[in-house]
Amino acid sequence: MATSNPVAGRAEIDGRIFNPYSKDFIRSPWATWEKLVLEYPVAWHKDLQMWVVSSHDACSEMLKDNSFTPNFRAWENAPPPKPEAEKNDFERSLDHGLFAVDAPHHLRLRKLALPAFSKPVMGKIDARIRDLVTECFDQIGEPEQFDAAGMIAEKLPVRSIARMVGVPTNRESFFHDFAVGVVKSTRINLPPKERQQAMESTLPGFAYFKDVIAQRRAADHPGEDFIGSLISAKEGDDRLSDYDIMAMIQAVIVAGSDTATDLHTYAIQGLLRNPEQYRLLRERPELMENAIIELLRVGAFGKTPQFRFATQDAVFRGQHIRKGQPILLNLTAAWVDPQKWERPRELDITRRLDGNIVFGAGAHFCIGTYLVRVQGGLMIGELMRRFPAAELVDGDGQVEYDYTHHNARRINRLLVKTNLKAQRKAA
Amino acid sequence: MKKWICIICGYIYDEAIGIPDHDVPAGTRFEDLPADWVCPECGSPKESFEPYVG
Repeated sequence: MATSNPVAGRAEIDGRIFNPYSKDFIRSPWATWEKLVLEYPVAWHKDLQMWVVSSHDACSEMLKDNSFTPNFRAWENAPPPKPEAEKNDFERSLDHGLFAVDAPHHLRLRKLALPAFSKPVMGKIDARIRDLVTECFDQIGEPEQFDAAGMIAEKLPVRSIARMVGVPTNRESFFHDFAVGVVKSTRINLPPKERQQAMESTLPGFAYFKDVIAQRRAADHPGEDFIGSLISAKEGDDRLSDYDIMAMIQAVIVAGSDTATDLHTYAIQGLLRNPEQYRLLRERPELMENAIIELLRVGAFGKTPQFRFATQDAVFRGQHIRKGQPILLNLTAAWVDPQKWERPRELDITRRLDGNIVFGAGAHFCIGTYLVRVQGGLMIGELMRRFPAAELVDGDGQVEYDYTHHNARRINRLLVKTNLKAQRKAA
Repeated sequence: MKKWICIICGYIYDEAIGIPDHDVPAGTRFEDLPADWVCPECGSPKESFEPYVG
């Protein structure tokens, strides 16, 4: 249904077509997404006051077009910049972050971070976090059923990222709150007051990391972990500043904790809903990396996935986007776009995923992608080993959602039936 | 034969192996890949690659 609009030729939608905060949408977004990708691939949302880009082709094109930036400062309603002396640690780190710096500086940061997060160091990542996965499943024990959201998803990602970064692994709430605060500080869909409160909540975290960096710089050797490798990193005389490092740390914590929480619940849900795929993965573990990407694609847990801002007036797929206007890159809708994927909602861990944008694309491709793959692979491997006959309780795991989560269709209860007794009996 | 790494995502292009799945035969030098070739992992352009030793 095309709605009337004040701007000639502009495709428009409103909350009746797409309301990412409605309970119905959070429980079952599929029909809404299909309508968006097929009928409104690029449209102005009158209620959200932002563009919504939903089809796979359009999202893929925009991700690779650097004239659409993730830099919050480019938003027409961004708070005015402060003089340098008045900025706090969050604001300075934001200025030094991957989303804010220019293209050459961005490449420099990615290059310096590469030794800690690239595919060649996957084995190293595996060795660093394997014991955390084992410990997590040891704590679950051998019950008849357990809650995968509370026992795995809320614990494992945040502990793993703490281990990777090089700080204590027993501070789940500290890292979780820091990550959520960082994300909410620049979420344009939140009121300014809420963004301000979120930003202030991150300051103890930044102070903590500033101290850790100072201690590492003062030590004989800065260490082999992420912080250590960033402190040691150099290109000629060029080294990373404290704020460069803090910006990188906050980026990986955000990517590796809050977002990875959903990976775990949706991966378990996806596999246990599809017992034949669960069995296939047990038989062919070499499919693990492909399976993780496919599980993320089909799970599609984002509610308001990513934002971009136009750095100049542009015509994008026939729509006139004005400089500074916000754009919701509706990646989760794109992941199940029937124009890109055959049987888009069907989990097929053998599917060829060429051209997928599950981890984004272009300059801002997810920096934690291999950490996620290793962590997800270890978790699923351990789940299969300990609970090969697992199912979801009552077929749906008595799933419950956190309807107030700021950007994800967050599952906060997913009950898994282990079937251990029946398995032992059969043996 | 050399290896090249994508600075954005860490994907490694090995000239000796090529990418047969993507119609890049083994032995294809990085310089000989088309100018509009992009990283199969993240879609970044050729300029995002650097020689890789490892």
